[in-house]
Amino acid sequence: MLSPERMARALIVGPREKLESVIGTLHDMKLIHLVDHEGEDDTFGIGKPLPPAAELSDSLLKLRSIANILAVKAPPKEIEAVRLDQLRERILSLELGITDEDAARKKAESLLGDLDRRIEELEPFAALGLPLSAYRGYETVAVVVGRVAREISEVDLGDIPAEIFQASGIVAVFTTKDSLDRLLHVLGQFGFAQIDIPAGEADPKELLDAALADREKWRTRLEEFRGRLETLREKYAAFVVAAEELLEVEVDKAEAPLRFAVSDHTFVIDGWVPEKRFHAIAFPLEAEGMYVESEHSQAEHEEPDPPVLLRNPKPAKPFEFLIHLYSTPSYRELDPTLFLFIAAPFFFGFMVGDVGYGALFMALGAFAIAKLKPTSIWFRLFFVTAVGGLWSVLLGLLVFGEAFGLPFHPAPGHLEELSWERFGIFVPMQAVIHKAFGIGDMIYLSILFAAFHLGFGYVFGFVNEMRHNKKYALAKLGWLACLFGLFTLLTFSLAIRPSPNRIALWVWDTPLGWFPRAIQSELSAFVGLKIPLASLILIFGAFLGLTESIIAPIEIASLLANVMSYARLAGIGIGKAAIAAAFNAAILEGFVLSGQIVLIIVGIVFLVLAQVLVFFLGWISAGIQALRLNYVEAFLKFYKGNGTPFRPFGARGTQEV
Amino acid sequence: MADPLAAMAAALSIAGTGIATAWAQKVVGGATVGAMAEKPELFGRGLVLMALPETIVVFGLVLGLQLLSKVAGP
Repeated sequence: MLSPERMARALIVGPREKLESVIGTLHDMKLIHLVDHEGEDDTFGIGKPLPPAAELSDSLLKLRSIANILAVKAPPKEIEAVRLDQLRERILSLELGITDEDAARKKAESLLGDLDRRIEELEPFAALGLPLSAYRGYETVAVVVGRVAREISEVDLGDIPAEIFQASGIVAVFTTKDSLDRLLHVLGQFGFAQIDIPAGEADPKELLDAALADREKWRTRLEEFRGRLETLREKYAAFVVAAEELLEVEVDKAEAPLRFAVSDHTFVIDGWVPEKRFHAIAFPLEAEGMYVESEHSQAEHEEPDPPVLLRNPKPAKPFEFLIHLYSTPSYRELDPTLFLFIAAPFFFGFMVGDVGYGALFMALGAFAIAKLKPTSIWFRLFFVTAVGGLWSVLLGLLVFGEAFGLPFHPAPGHLEELSWERFGIFVPMQAVIHKAFGIGDMIYLSILFAAFHLGFGYVFGFVNEMRHNKKYALAKLGWLACLFGLFTLLTFSLAIRPSPNRIALWVWDTPLGWFPRAIQSELSAFVGLKIPLASLILIFGAFLGLTESIIAPIEIASLLANVMSYARLAGIGIGKAAIAAAFNAAILEGFVLSGQIVLIIVGIVFLVLAQVLVFFLGWISAGIQALRLNYVEAFLKFYKGNGTPFRPFGARGTQEV
Repeated sequence: MADPLAAMAAALSIAGTGIATAWAQKVVGGATVGAMAEKPELFGRGLVLMALPETIVVFGLVLGLQLLSKVAGP
């Protein structure tokens, strides 16, 4: 549970002619995580792909190009059975048909592009109305054509000899070659942008009409080609998807020898198998006459770490993706999934702390279990939030006494506040903490959770380091002592105030009753406060961190910062409740309780919108913060990660996020 | 109001730390999105780095609450 599945190294040795059948068996079993063979020596080299590999890859390539042309994206509804022996032929004939259509479509598209450019070029000249031959072939006359911002007249050109033809935004100016430079200079002041004169002699209007007719004709053709490709897609989508899947499997098998060591007569396959399933892989292979050797992975091995297959009880399984999101655990450390499974949803529930929203989160989870595949990312997300929702319902019912941001009963001393009692709903549960008025309690609870959470983090760290380096393990114990010292100090300082925090006082007196009481020492006189000396001594447990690194004790401040960082639990809990309460108060008192039908209807619409907003805000902020407290504050105390996930040969398409 | 200065200080501490967090997240967020475009598997690390600066505003919150307890105090 807390450590990943134990792996056994498997070496499979056999005669070369059996290679293909062994690959088939291994691929079907989906149990072995292959270790690539590296380096060549005199006898063993990297294997060559099986003979059909080249043809299969070629088919797969062609098929992917077909899928690309047909723009096959989502898997079709019906699934078509395909047979490998007919596949090549069908793909080739399909390719033949499709490449012709595709070439025709591409040609039409490029022709249309050309025509568009031609039309754009001709349009201004068609507007000017002169035949194209009028623009060229002079000895002393120069012509410039271009776009201008506003109309110009011969007066604007001053003494330059010129004749002007204009249409909307276009101007053609005929002048002598000598005065061309001056003309361009003057035209520049009118925002003149010269354009080229198209080739040809004829009337541009006629040319334009011809081009427009051509464009119309090709557009219809293109539509035809696209329509035909669309029909082809509908007809062959199922085949393409099924064939691609089959071919990927076959290519995978055919190229597998590239990962094995192969000599002239034998092959060696190296890989990791879950220890418990070793016999499942060894028996059938030995029956085929292979030699299978197992080597159990020892704790202190020189060789690279085995791949990691997490094993967790079913409810915690969907949380594994959150661990992989951070980093896959290494084979030789504790799997933090259970740690996360307990802490993250609890924090989430504490921050949401509301029966109504919690029930909605659980409904999402129920929907996921009923409708979604357990491998889909949405299933995992909804399931994870539903566990948080369960905590939220429990805490909302037993501790905070509120649903949809509305308390069950008004807080003592604030009887004017809205509550479910106003609507005739009397819940026989009294709130232990009213979020709006129990800020001190919320903050102290955050500190308490921080102590537990980080404390377990250090315990995990201690266990991890014990397997690795005893000195580092000692440092973890030192930090645990330091954390406990900080915790007692914070508890004490909140418990001895003139108006003590009731939870801190209870913790100080009851569970911490055995802890040495305040001692008036020289030092505490210096600080001006009674300080439990034992706490101070404990805090300096951090000096055990010296065994880890010389600057470790400086980190006491950062540990304190980590503890304070849990105040976000209180902050978000209160903040979210305050937003919901503000919406509720404004909408309920302003609209719903007004007694006028129209206002009531409008109020209910507003209320639903406001609640949806608070629901999603709560989901996002509480979700991210609950994860963050684990990822940043706790995981850094013990978790290294960087493991290789277990990917058995033959398993397909299980993409991690 | 026992101490208006304490109330002002509480407001300042929340505002200042809020701005600081926003600025830090702007920098980190931009860099994270850039890094994720190259390596999408950095999402997890990115999320952690993105959430780091929020500690600043939590400190502001704690400080603000401490100061406010002075304002509403006996």
